[in-house]
Amino acid sequence: MRAIAPSSVESAVPYMNEESRDARYLEVVMVRKSFRGTTVMDEMNFRMARGELVSLLGPSGCGKTTLLRIIAGLMPADEGEIVLGPRNITNLPAHKRNISVVFQNYALFPHLTVGENVGFGLKARGHAKSEIESPVRDALRLVRMESYMDKPIAGLSGGQQQRIAVARALVVRPDLLLLDEPFSALDRKLRETMQVELKSLLRDSGITAVFVTHDQEEALGVSDRIAVMNAGRIEQFADPSTLYARPATPFVMDFVGLSLRLNGTATEKADGACDVGTSHGSVRTPIALRKGEGAVIGVRPELVRAFPSGEAPALEAGRNRVEVVLEDVMVLGSKTMLHGRCDEPDRLVCELPGIKAGFARGQKVVFDWAIEDTLAYGAAA
Amino acid sequence: MTELRHAISGTPPRPIRSPIDKIALLAAPGLLYLAVLYAIPLLLLLLQSFRSEDGGITLDAYTSFFAESYNLEVLLRTLRVAFLTTLLSLAIAYPTAIAMNRAKGVWLTVFLVAMVLPMSLGVVVKAFAWSILFRSNGALNQTMEFIGLIDAPIRMLFTETALVVGAANVFLPFMVLPIYAVLRQQDEALQHAAASLGAGPIFRFFNVSLPLTLPGIVAGAAFVFSMSISMYVIPSLIVGETQQTLPMLIARSFLYLRNEQLGSTISAILLIIAIVVVLSSSFLAARLGAKE
Ligand SMILES: Nc1ncnc2c1ncn2[C@@H]1O[C@H](COP(=O)(O)OP(=O)(O)O)[C@@H](O)[C@H]1O
Ligand SMILES: [Mg+2]
Repeated sequence: MRAIAPSSVESAVPYMNEESRDARYLEVVMVRKSFRGTTVMDEMNFRMARGELVSLLGPSGCGKTTLLRIIAGLMPADEGEIVLGPRNITNLPAHKRNISVVFQNYALFPHLTVGENVGFGLKARGHAKSEIESPVRDALRLVRMESYMDKPIAGLSGGQQQRIAVARALVVRPDLLLLDEPFSALDRKLRETMQVELKSLLRDSGITAVFVTHDQEEALGVSDRIAVMNAGRIEQFADPSTLYARPATPFVMDFVGLSLRLNGTATEKADGACDVGTSHGSVRTPIALRKGEGAVIGVRPELVRAFPSGEAPALEAGRNRVEVVLEDVMVLGSKTMLHGRCDEPDRLVCELPGIKAGFARGQKVVFDWAIEDTLAYGAAA
Repeated sequence: MTELRHAISGTPPRPIRSPIDKIALLAAPGLLYLAVLYAIPLLLLLLQSFRSEDGGITLDAYTSFFAESYNLEVLLRTLRVAFLTTLLSLAIAYPTAIAMNRAKGVWLTVFLVAMVLPMSLGVVVKAFAWSILFRSNGALNQTMEFIGLIDAPIRMLFTETALVVGAANVFLPFMVLPIYAVLRQQDEALQHAAASLGAGPIFRFFNVSLPLTLPGIVAGAAFVFSMSISMYVIPSLIVGETQQTLPMLIARSFLYLRNEQLGSTISAILLIIAIVVVLSSSFLAARLGAKE
């Protein structure tokens, strides 16, 4: 029988090479979905490998839950295919897919005890009572809720309910686990504890999981790869460091992490690079843009250096520089944030490590960063 | 009774905090009304059933009631009709409540109006409408004869079946509404959770939907059963004197036989049955409802 026993847990997948990463375990192909004429998802394509932990990250309303429901079979897609392992499950009803879901509000059965909730999936699969007890106990032990076996659901805290929901989803050994913002109902501190706990639990069980969140920090911390979604489309699908260092679109740059951002127009080309004229001066980009085209440039704030205007050294080769008036100086302990005066949607921000004295509101400073660290997007992006 | 109220109003019972809750005072007019018009006359009626001819207290009226086999037959018929009426209303009401729960906008209004409007029509009008449909030369018999389903008209009126069908028709809203109230509260995510855990439609029905709607079912069944054992107008119109039920027997005792003691004795028996049904259903609803 399929059940969790700590001794039989598959080995974790600490590292996956590029080849296995391309492996097509879950494939979502050309999925379309509209509600009463409003298209919320168009040509959704996405694939992941066995054992991978992928986050769907995007603002609220971008279609994450819809995609999850389509994968789980809880909602039909208008068009497109879902393939899981060797099976095309597009037309399979939810209860035959062997895909477990941890719901946003946990959806525990109020008329059953903790143990009965966890055992529900095994009972539904036709296992006898005697076969159910021990895997249920193991699953509860895994989430450290063993002593709650015979307790009712009412009265459990949010964190406890979440653990039960995870145990209930895992005990049936699903081919795929889907989690819809499982931490959104928890307060910040508990959320951080639960994130660490869940990540190691999922790693240890070797399960393939899709994890939905609108919290970029959560996505970066928990997953192998992140699909950044915007308005029913995946803007970029990459591992956390690529996503942060090389965001593919201005949306990803803004949604994942903070960045200095200026809008402008590409002016001049120079040996494969390009100059972009902005309201704070000209900025050179490492990539070519079409001349006259509207452009967005950005840089991560910790890559920006700051000097009071008078004390700035001469501009080195290979660097960009803008002059700003400080709007705000925030000393946050581990870092100091400098915000320059500018108009939306421009953003002038610099992050300095530790507590930095010598900067004050209203002061003129120079922001300086490497051309190669400059992110640049043409109008097409 | 809290459980019944819970199931119908859709809100969890609120614990009463202080000994004299100001809100609880709102119940005073209702309680007074019930006491004057219901409890006191009923008590007097009950006392009558225990009074012996010389003014003492006796159980003679009860022993002689149960000694008569005709009375037992009537008691049994009353219970059987009430039971079958409850069962039939449940069978019709459950799918109806599910459909209502799925219905949106205009359709929901249509359902609710269809539920409430017939109640305002009154039983008498309905009974005459049925007789047009069901009598030997009525529309139904003629249609069945015409398409060759039957050779001769079937006797449909004045049977116990007709009584059960008629009563279920009248009491249907009292079964539908409590079930609908519980269904409406049910989180759709529970169905999704069950499905994603591998539960097919049938397993989901018996292990999720049904247990969660039981409080509504029990409440509805308690309503319909207690109304069915005490109905008078419907059996009078549908089956007449040929097949008596307890309430008809009571009326006869008071109105024709002028035997007040017999009337109060049967009333007391009816009351006891009603109390047992309501209390046990309340208890059942509490046991079966969500574990709190
Ligand atoms: N059942 C539904 N009927 C109509 N519109 C819906 C329904 N479910 C979702 N939507 C719409 O689809 C879009 C995506 O919703 P959803 O997938 O829940 O977003 P997310 O989970 O990313 O917050 C939203 O604009 C939402 O209003
Ligand atoms: Mg959502």
